[in-house]
Amino acid sequence: MPENQTEATPPAITASNVDISNCDREQIHLVNAIQPHGALLVLEEPSLRIVQASANSASFLGLPTDSLLGQTIDALLGKANTEKLKTILAEHDLTNILDRLMTLPKLPHLDQWFNVFGNRTDGFLVLEFERASPSSQEQERVGLYQFRDFIQRLQRTPSLAVFLDVAIEQIRHFTGFERVMAYRFDLDGSGEVVAEAKAPDLEAYLGLHYPASDIPAPARRLFALSPLRHLPNVDYEPVPILSYAAKPLTPEVSMGINPSPSPLGGEGFRERGIGLITNGLPSHQPSQNPLPQPLPLRGGGENRKPLSPEGRGVGERGLTVQDNYSIPEPQPVDLSHSFLRSVSVMYTGYLRNMGVKSTMVLPLLKNGHLWGLISCMNHSAPLYLHYEQRVPVELLTQMLSLMMGDREDLDQYAYRTSLDIVLGKLVSLMGREEGFHQALTADQTNLLTTLDADGVALIADGKLSTLGNTPSESNISLLADWLGQQEAAVFASHRMLDDFPATRDFLDTASGVLSVRLSRAGSDRIIWFRPEMLHDVHWAGDPNKPVEISTIDNEIRLQPRTSFALWKETVHGQSRPWLDCEIDYVTRLRRAIFDVIVERAKLLARTNAELERSNQELDSFAYAASHDLKEPLRGIHNFAEFLKGEEGINLSERGLKRIETILRLSGRMDNMLESLLQYSRVGRNALDMQAQSINKIVEQVAELILQVMPEKNITIDIQPFLPAIQCDRVRVTMVFHNLIMNAIKYNDKDHKIIKIGCDPSTIPVVFFVRDNGIGIAPNHHEQIFQLFRRLHGRDDFGGGSGAGLTIVKKAIQRHGGHIWLESTLGSGSTFFFTLSSENNAESERL
Amino acid sequence: MKEERPLLIVEDSDEDFEVTCWALRQAGFDRPIVRCSRAEEALLRLCPVPPNQESGSMMPCLVLLDLNLPGMNGLQLLEELRSVEQPPTIPVVILSTSKNPRDLAACYRLGAAGYLCKPLSLELYTSKMLKLTQYWFDAVTLPEE
Repeated sequence: MPENQTEATPPAITASNVDISNCDREQIHLVNAIQPHGALLVLEEPSLRIVQASANSASFLGLPTDSLLGQTIDALLGKANTEKLKTILAEHDLTNILDRLMTLPKLPHLDQWFNVFGNRTDGFLVLEFERASPSSQEQERVGLYQFRDFIQRLQRTPSLAVFLDVAIEQIRHFTGFERVMAYRFDLDGSGEVVAEAKAPDLEAYLGLHYPASDIPAPARRLFALSPLRHLPNVDYEPVPILSYAAKPLTPEVSMGINPSPSPLGGEGFRERGIGLITNGLPSHQPSQNPLPQPLPLRGGGENRKPLSPEGRGVGERGLTVQDNYSIPEPQPVDLSHSFLRSVSVMYTGYLRNMGVKSTMVLPLLKNGHLWGLISCMNHSAPLYLHYEQRVPVELLTQMLSLMMGDREDLDQYAYRTSLDIVLGKLVSLMGREEGFHQALTADQTNLLTTLDADGVALIADGKLSTLGNTPSESNISLLADWLGQQEAAVFASHRMLDDFPATRDFLDTASGVLSVRLSRAGSDRIIWFRPEMLHDVHWAGDPNKPVEISTIDNEIRLQPRTSFALWKETVHGQSRPWLDCEIDYVTRLRRAIFDVIVERAKLLARTNAELERSNQELDSFAYAASHDLKEPLRGIHNFAEFLKGEEGINLSERGLKRIETILRLSGRMDNMLESLLQYSRVGRNALDMQAQSINKIVEQVAELILQVMPEKNITIDIQPFLPAIQCDRVRVTMVFHNLIMNAIKYNDKDHKIIKIGCDPSTIPVVFFVRDNGIGIAPNHHEQIFQLFRRLHGRDDFGGGSGAGLTIVKKAIQRHGGHIWLESTLGSGSTFFFTLSSENNAESERL
Repeated sequence: MKEERPLLIVEDSDEDFEVTCWALRQAGFDRPIVRCSRAEEALLRLCPVPPNQESGSMMPCLVLLDLNLPGMNGLQLLEELRSVEQPPTIPVVILSTSKNPRDLAACYRLGAAGYLCKPLSLELYTSKMLKLTQYWFDAVTLPEE
């Protein structure tokens, strides 16, 4: 480790691209070096000619690199094995996958068992060789038996947490790693150790969080790609991959380990790999085989970056060789699927800083997405797992991935089921109740039932209802406005302080918000609230300093962080996160509410149409009935008059009185029929909306009335400058006429004073007719508007049919307005009315 | 003396016809009164087919027309009278119980020469009939046949 410390020093990076997300851009899959526990060959197909070879071929495969480059594979495998390989290659696709192709008990010139792996990439065949033994074959079988028991144990685990505990304990048992962890990624790329099995003397990492930059995006991608990444020795010395070159290079060129790393390569790596040629180069290398040269030496020109001093030094020492191999067209092969691929210095540096000697990492995929990792670590010494030991762990982890999706869903199963039941109840309540407020905020089952939220607000039909702990009304409306700007119909956040900083004033109720929009316009919605949950996150080191930048020799360096000291962060403004099943529940609730709304609208439209029809029928009926009834009534009246006139002298006084009664009653009935006719006319005929001067209308009415009652002492005081409005002149005239007539009729004062005016400041304008008459008791304020409803004796106050105010009210309603009154018994009444609905008030005035 | 042209009353109700006649007589009206109880009958009388054919009876000098009639109603009769090739020159005064402004407007629009709302009381009715006959038979001059 100590001597490697310098090598682990990360590559130099120019000031222009110092950036803590540097790792995110490093294209580590194209690094042209491998770890030393295997050998790698790149072959052309179908010739199977070797175009690249790892520099350790002599020591590992028994043949020096220069004797392999340019040869076909039978030079290494011999005829029989080559034929076998060809057959296998024909049967295997190998694209984007690494497969074990064959196990070779020996090579022609080397008595050693090998496992041979293959992968097709960039149009080449990559073969990787790893040592094997007869005993390891036996181990594989044993491992598989254990594996079966293990699956059975996993199936019996009650929860995901236990599931993971069992799994990693078993993996530790299989592999012998000192520490095995399950690591779960958060949405932002940071992660947490959610399960851990470790040697007793080791410090626990369980519950620790690691920032996103610790496992940068390309690394996460690579992890997802390959079923297993094994780094037996963190302090390994990378083995470069050498390429066959057709044309000799000049010594000058060959001298240079080209100081500019390939644009395709991660800079750190390459230098380290190259450096190794000299440093750690096995004895069989350059001196005996002066031809090979590290790859790739050209092609990096565009992206020149100064090498670190170490790298340069090592490189210069390393290339004292006369090379006639170079790279005609340097084609570093994509080693994403290679198990020998060398790893980023950032990674090894990081592991070294953590005190890790060996690792193995396997991806945990849930429904195909990278959910987390199984991470195995050895702290005391390097640990190499050969293929037969790795296979069961790999299979097991894949099995974990398959089982995990179900397992996590299963954890929420009971909750989901009870939410389903609540949803069903709410739907039936909505079907029964008049409004959503009654249906969704009832005592028994409501929007808070079962759902794990502390409060809920329902905004619908211009009304707000709340249950449980919610922010104040004003804060809810503030939040609702903000939610209205969100595009998605369903919004969920457990970190409202970040999403909408204005929540800082009511985090105690609304740190977490789940909301569904109920109307297209966005004003109607339901909002569930969760309170702030202060909690501590234990970071493994300060998450705000995931990497360290240092300056050495005037060059700015990016280094993996060295401090993993526990960093406790208290998290504010967050609640418990919303679960998938909760979001799913509110989404389904929203759909159910929409169904109810649509159903309601249909019903309402039907009811309205029916009501309209029946109203019209009623009006037509009233019209026809009263019209047709009038004729015989007239006959009765007229013939009673004939009787009286022609036979009056022959009748007794009582007989005459009876005839008088017939005449009086038929006269009243005629009045009533006439009122009924008027009333039905108000409803039947379309309004003729025109701009009308109310002053003009009222003045005409007043003049007419004063003309017919010249004997009475009446003052009709009309406020000047009443507004001109859109209305039906005939009906509004009728309104004023009836109201003023009533004001005079129901007035026992000698001097009857009627005031007519309006409050123009209101929308819509409120008109009034005020009198100093007898007044109306409050309990009669409703009744007076009923048809033929009378408060006084038939012939008191000049009689009347009792339909006047009914007609007035209907005429006002036809305009969309309302009528109401204030009155003091004995001193007078004021009738107020509007001639437009609030919605139309804009167009009312002229 | 030339025979006086009659007054035509189009009225389906016997009672109403009787009342109207009574009121006219009370008002001193002494010309002949003829009656059609249906609008169709009145139309034939006012517009004989074929035209210009001498009808057996004299053309009325004035028509009092009730609106509410079985079959063709008063308004439809007015419309028919207007639409024939040679509309009669006889004024038609509507006699109705309806005070509906729409009925009033429709009648005048269709060429009614007057619109009289039948009052309930005979006294009032008589006084209206007096004014009506005074107007049509004293004040104004009716066209010749």
